[in-house]
Parts: sequence; structure tokens; C-alpha cells
Amino acid sequence: MTERHRLRSLWTLAFMNGVVPMRTQPLYLLSTIASPLSFLFVISVLSQGSPNHGAYILYAIVGGFVLTIMSVGTGLQTDLTHYKQDLKFQELVVASPVEAPTYIAGLALSEFIYAMPGLGVFVILWLLNFGVPNVESTLTLLGCLTLVWAFASALSFTLATYFADVRETFVFSPLISLGLTVLPPIYYSARILPSWAQPLVFLSPTTYAADLLHRAFGLDQLGPYLLPAWADWLALLAFAGALFALAAAKAQWRET
Amino acid sequence: MSAAIRTRGLEKVYRSQGHETRALAGVDLEVPSGAIYGLIGRNGAGKTTFIRITSTQLLPTAGEVTVLDHDALRDPRSVRSRIAVIPQESRPLYFLSVDELVYLYLKLRGMPSEEAHARTDRVLQELDLTSRRKLLVSRLSGGMRRRAMVAMVLASDAEVLYLDEPTTGLDPIARREVWAAIQRASREKRTVLLTTHYLDEAEALSARLALIENGRRLLEGSPAEIRSRIPRPFRVTVRGVLGRAELEPYGEVTTIEGGFLVFAREADARELTLMALQRGAPVAMAPASLEDVFLQMVGRPLDEGSESSGEASE
Repeated sequence: MTERHRLRSLWTLAFMNGVVPMRTQPLYLLSTIASPLSFLFVISVLSQGSPNHGAYILYAIVGGFVLTIMSVGTGLQTDLTHYKQDLKFQELVVASPVEAPTYIAGLALSEFIYAMPGLGVFVILWLLNFGVPNVESTLTLLGCLTLVWAFASALSFTLATYFADVRETFVFSPLISLGLTVLPPIYYSARILPSWAQPLVFLSPTTYAADLLHRAFGLDQLGPYLLPAWADWLALLAFAGALFALAAAKAQWRET
Repeated sequence: MSAAIRTRGLEKVYRSQGHETRALAGVDLEVPSGAIYGLIGRNGAGKTTFIRITSTQLLPTAGEVTVLDHDALRDPRSVRSRIAVIPQESRPLYFLSVDELVYLYLKLRGMPSEEAHARTDRVLQELDLTSRRKLLVSRLSGGMRRRAMVAMVLASDAEVLYLDEPTTGLDPIARREVWAAIQRASREKRTVLLTTHYLDEAEALSARLALIENGRRLLEGSPAEIRSRIPRPFRVTVRGVLGRAELEPYGEVTTIEGGFLVFAREADARELTLMALQRGAPVAMAPASLEDVFLQMVGRPLDEGSESSGEASE
């Protein structure tokens, strides 16, 4: 298969699983932003009258970006399991010229595309509340979302190798969402956590993304454990790389 | 005729939680290039495992597999660009329309847009799906979905098509349309490996057949050759005046509605037919169908005429 064929296959998968469902199942798009919009709503109501209301809204919008991309990234485990176990689509692809890396990259890209409308909602909210951000903040946002997407996709590929039934993914998705988006200091500053709990936040890769975004938008960061930006980037890359390596080691394109 | 698919000593043992299941127990098979080849056998006989191994989805425990002169175990990439598969119990992506399903599958295989569009139009017409081309797959009946899956692989440029029960759930008319499309694929010199539970389908389509039982090849050959290799290759249906005791000397007698069905050797079948006609009993004589062969070989303990003892464990 030539590079041109590979790119064609990759884009076809991304289009098939990312663009077409937006047209044929538009309601499903709402599910990608249901949780982050709910958080925004609650934070907005509870912080009414507070002198820090603007900062809280910004936390909610930054959190919305991270939660949306995590939501679609981890949703990939459901697609992978469904396509393999229920539809046998993966079998059909294995016995074709499409190679495993193309399949993985195509489906991961499709999830990123599927997140676009949800991310767009938060971009609009951001512009309405805080105006046009500077270039550095915008690039930080794009870089963080890309790495969080890469990490979430790799996590999904790893988990999907263990699942024999799509219902198992329904159990793991909320747990992942809780562990990687709600508990880590994305919607709040780690400074308010008890001191014993503060080191634990570094177990979650989303902490580093949030730290970078909080820094870029002038929000309170990780308190006594303030990291340099390069360390945050390095940690995000390391998490994504390690999980991709794990997924590659676990994945079986041809079963044994 | 050269072989498109060739296996030697193909074995597969599934191991799970300390339990072993032998799905294939040393299968030697040659699927001629450009022919429709039928694999028949009971559920769990090993047909799907055979398809999954030879289409590079599954590694065998032992044995050799060559597809289009490539070693499918060591060089699967060379094979994959030239094959297409409809997996058993597969379902199409429900959020696509029928034409998107076919077109995007072709694009996925790396086909240019123009050719993919032309092939999509052609196959939808062949399988009478044109009027439904813009319908979402989720809106189709089960049979229509299966037909859409068949359209995907038939539209491809693959030289070897693996169709694992392609007509399950189709009505008789739709089945005939799929048959016609499969036969067209064969006329284009493409090789088709077909599994089916419909023995009339296997007989109507296949140039050669293999009967798989307990992971072993029990019989192999053209439908006529297979029929000739069973001990009683003719069926005589007798209704009316004759009793069971009078029929038993001629062959194996089974009671049917209003009479008896006798499986017999050709000479015995002719003699029985003449005798029934002389007695004024309605009688019909015909070669055993593939279903009769299947029942004789598999539907009860194997006796003389089988190639193997069916020792493989399930």
C-alpha cells in the first residue's frame, strides 16, 4: 500500500466515523458536551455574586475543553469494542489492504473530528466571556487538547484489547471520566486540596494539561507544587507515549 | 487450474481457561483459482475458523496456508491487498446510507473516488439496491443489511472473496440475486470461498465442495462426485400401497408424510422404482441431493464411505 493509499484509507475512516455520524446522528453530538455544559451551569449558578465569578467561569470553560476531548477520546473504546465484537467490522478491515496503524489513527482522528462541534461551543463561550485570546494561549490550548486526545485515544486502545463486550465499556467510561477529569484539579486549583492529597494529582495526565491551561489563562495553578511549563509538556508527552507503547504491545491485529 | 487457496495440515486449537477446543484437525484443501468453492458442515465444524485463518485474521496452531501464491502466515500483507471478507454474523455500520457503506468501503481499501463511485453504482444495481441507496442502513430489514454487506465485497477489486454465510436471513428472491452476483464475480475469474447452511445454495453455486466435520475434511469434490461417494446415492419416494418391510431390502427407509423415502444404490433404486410402478404406487426416483448426502454423512454415526473417522474433539 502506498502512502497515498494509506492517507486515503485514514481519511476515509476519519470521515466515516467522525463526519458522517454528525449528519446522521446529530443528537449524539450533544452527549459529548452534556457533562461539561452541566458543570459550567452549576459553577455559573453557584458563583453568582462572588468577586471571582469570572475566574470560576474561566475554570469551567477550560475544564469544558479538557472534559469534551477526554469524553470523545475515551468514547473510542466503545467504538473499538462495538466494531470488533458486535459488527465484526474490524475483521472486515483486517482482511483488507488497511494496516493496523492506519485503522488506529483513522478512528482516533474520527473522534477528534467528532469533538469539534463540542469544542466549538466552548470556543464561542470563551470569546463571548473573555474576548479573543492571545496567540500563546491559543497555541497552548491546541497543544494541550492534542496531547490529551492522544493520551485518551491510547488509553482507549489499551482498554479495548481487554473488552469482550461493549457493555464493559459502559462501566469503565464513567470511572475514567471521574478519575481523569472530575477529581484532578481541572475545575479548581489544587491549592484548595488537603496537603496529603496534593501530590496525588500528578497521577493524572490531565493535571498537566490543566496546569498549562490555567497558567495560559491566568488562573491559580498547582500551589506549592508549581511545575515549569516544560515539565507539564514533558509529562503529557510521556503519558501519551507510554500508553501508545502499551496499546501497541497489547493489540493483536491478527488473533492467535 | 492453479489453486488460489491451499492449506496443508491446517490445525487450530483454541485454549481458554484451561479448556482446549480443537476447531481444525489437519485440513488439506485446495481452492481452484476462479472457482466458487463451497464449505459445508454443521455449526462448530470448523468452517469459520478455516475462513478466518486463510483470510489472515487468525493464526493457526499448525499447518501451512498459501493464498494467491503468497505465504499467508509469514506475508499476510501481500495477501490482504487481494482479498475481501464478509465475516459471519457481521453487520454493516448502521449510521451510513447504503451507497456510503459500499463507497466508503472501497475508499477504505484505497480505491480512487471515480472508480469507487462507478463500482458502487454497478453493484447496487446488480443487487437491486438502487432504490434504497440513500436509506440509512439502520432503516433496512435484516435481509437487506446482509445484501448490503455482500454488495461491499462484490464491489471490491479483490481477487479472492470469502463469504461466510452471505445469504443468511435473505428471502428466496434476494438469495437468487446474491447468487447471480456471486456467479458474475466468478465469471470475472475471481475466486469465491463460500460457507453456507443452505445446501441447495452450495450445490447451485459451487464448482467444488468440501464437507467439514469435527475440524476434518470429510468429503471433497464436485457436487456430482460427492453424491457418488456416499453409499446410497439415489433417493426413491414411494407413496401408497407398499409397506416398509417390502422396501427395506432396497436400501435405507425413512417414513415421510404419506409414504416412504428410500436411499438406495442406483441398481436397487431402479429395481424399486420398477416394482413400485408395477404395483401402481406413485413413485419418484432422483439422485440424492446434497442435503441427503449431508444427512447420510453427518446426521448420524458415520459408516462406510467416510474418509475419516471424525476423531477430532470439539
